[in-house]
Amino acid sequence: MKTVLAAAYICLAALPLGSCGKTAAPNTSRANQLAPSSPSRPMRVVSLDFCADQYVLKLVERGHILALSPDAGAPFSYLKDEAKGLPTVRSTAEDVMILKPDLVVRSYGGGPNAEHFFTRAGIPVLNIGWASNLEDIKRVTLEVATGLGAQDKGQSLTAEIDKRLAAIAQGLQKRKAQDINILYMTPSGTTAGSGLIQDMIEQAGLKNFETQPGWRSLPLERLAYEQPDMVAAAFFDTNSLEKDRWSAMRHPLARAQIQSRPTVALNGSWMSCGAWFALDAVEALANGVAISKASGSIH
Amino acid sequence: MLARSLTPVLLMLTLAAIIVACFLGSTPINLERIIAALLGQGTAGDSLIVWHIRFPRALAAFLVGAALGANGAALQGLLRNPLAEPGVLGVSASASLAAACVIYFGMAATSPWILPISAIIGALIATALIAAAAVRTSSVVTLILVGVGLSSFAGAAMSLLLNISPTPFSLADMINWTLGSVANRSFDDIALAAPFLAAGFLILWMSRRGLSALTLGEEAASGLGVNLRRQRILVVLGAGLATGASVSIAGAIGFVGIVAPHIVRPFVRHDPARSLLPSALLGGIFLILADIAVRILPTQTELKLGVVAAIFGAPAFIWIAMQRRSGGT
Repeated sequence: MKTVLAAAYICLAALPLGSCGKTAAPNTSRANQLAPSSPSRPMRVVSLDFCADQYVLKLVERGHILALSPDAGAPFSYLKDEAKGLPTVRSTAEDVMILKPDLVVRSYGGGPNAEHFFTRAGIPVLNIGWASNLEDIKRVTLEVATGLGAQDKGQSLTAEIDKRLAAIAQGLQKRKAQDINILYMTPSGTTAGSGLIQDMIEQAGLKNFETQPGWRSLPLERLAYEQPDMVAAAFFDTNSLEKDRWSAMRHPLARAQIQSRPTVALNGSWMSCGAWFALDAVEALANGVAISKASGSIH
Repeated sequence: MLARSLTPVLLMLTLAAIIVACFLGSTPINLERIIAALLGQGTAGDSLIVWHIRFPRALAAFLVGAALGANGAALQGLLRNPLAEPGVLGVSASASLAAACVIYFGMAATSPWILPISAIIGALIATALIAAAAVRTSSVVTLILVGVGLSSFAGAAMSLLLNISPTPFSLADMINWTLGSVANRSFDDIALAAPFLAAGFLILWMSRRGLSALTLGEEAASGLGVNLRRQRILVVLGAGLATGASVSIAGAIGFVGIVAPHIVRPFVRHDPARSLLPSALLGGIFLILADIAVRILPTQTELKLGVVAAIFGAPAFIWIAMQRRSGGT
């Protein structure tokens, strides 16, 4: 029993930005099979989890959304305001099937057998792909938009991502912030040394303080000798430290980083899924550097 | 001779285990630097690592193990049953449940004292129920079954909390209450639990003479002038305080309270009173060593202390239970 719980914990502890997603790898072939042209655009769409909710809310006309997941309005949902007033459905097969959707959209909702089950029942499934960097986010956005019959919206969303990244890069050329390192911290005491977080930090012109790959516990012992120039504090708006009772973040050495270094707060809703709104976090990081440099708190 | 040298030997082993625990960590630091840091002459970085990361962790493991070891010895003396232990009897699980409840319902944020106090209340309720059951029945099996029932109820209620957990973060946090760990524990956590641990140890120490008398049976103990009601209240209160405080530091860790007194008992002529201190020390050493194992095992994610303690403790529990059966007791 404890082993099962431990396995669940390991998976859940790294859930933000989908580190467990590798076990539920995207099925892009399904997305492509579903690539409908305008006349076959799905009219009754159901999404099964809050990552899928974001794409559905962004790319599907409101009248075509049959139901979202119960987390669509949660604090960590980026488009929670847009989700207001829309019906929600639990991701159980029976609850979803009774709605008779044209298309089910999911990243992890419904569990590993969901796609197989819905397909057997004659309901097409669009899986949200895995994004481990900002380029992946653009690719996934286009795939999902194609699957939803909203290629135009997808292209305009990726064009916006490019435009925002170009603006950040332009600002960086003026500032030359490459030597500033930043430590990504969360209330659960997790940091990241590779993947999307690393890419976001680099796109903001910073160096990641964590050098070991993957999701890791905060390097408390290393912090005794080396300190980051800045801190990226993610999820502190949606999670309280009192709830994360076992986290390395509760240690005085970790708390001292946030208290004594220039800190950029990253909303949990920007970081909960690997999607276009990760750009909000990249911009916040880049702006944080600019503000800290201007105020003289970093050099 | 052995009995007299047992406590000093265990004290030296405790010291050695704590020093070894201070050597281990993600940053390689040699012996010279560790000793310098322990003596307050190290660099700022070394001192931070040794005094604020590794030593509090080792101390937390020791205190939790000591509380569980002493509780095991006291409960076994009170109930005259070598299988009695906070983990087996559901005391630790009840304390964990109470702690997880106050976190889930947002009460933990109101005061840092809420969490240890709630864990202690959970432990006290469970210990009182066990003691009440012990008064009603002389059957060892019934008593253990009551404990198993309590443990199952606490486990089911914890599963309910996990089931309705609002986010994966709170889910992961609550799971940890059932796995047990002293990772990332600082002096702040120890300071919050220390007064309750100290009170629990003191009360158990005060109950030791009665525990000795109880080995002769309740009637004989009563004839020797032991106030049985007072004795039960003292042990329940002491065990509840110490278990609750240890759970507030490390979550539910099982089997330490069985293994430590069982090893100690032959050295102290099966006297529960004389086994209290050595059981506490051995329980502490056991958990420091288990925590060292957790840290050096080459696993991708650090194993949880309670898991490792159970891997060693559960077979010991089965072995002790089998021995009882073959002995016809």
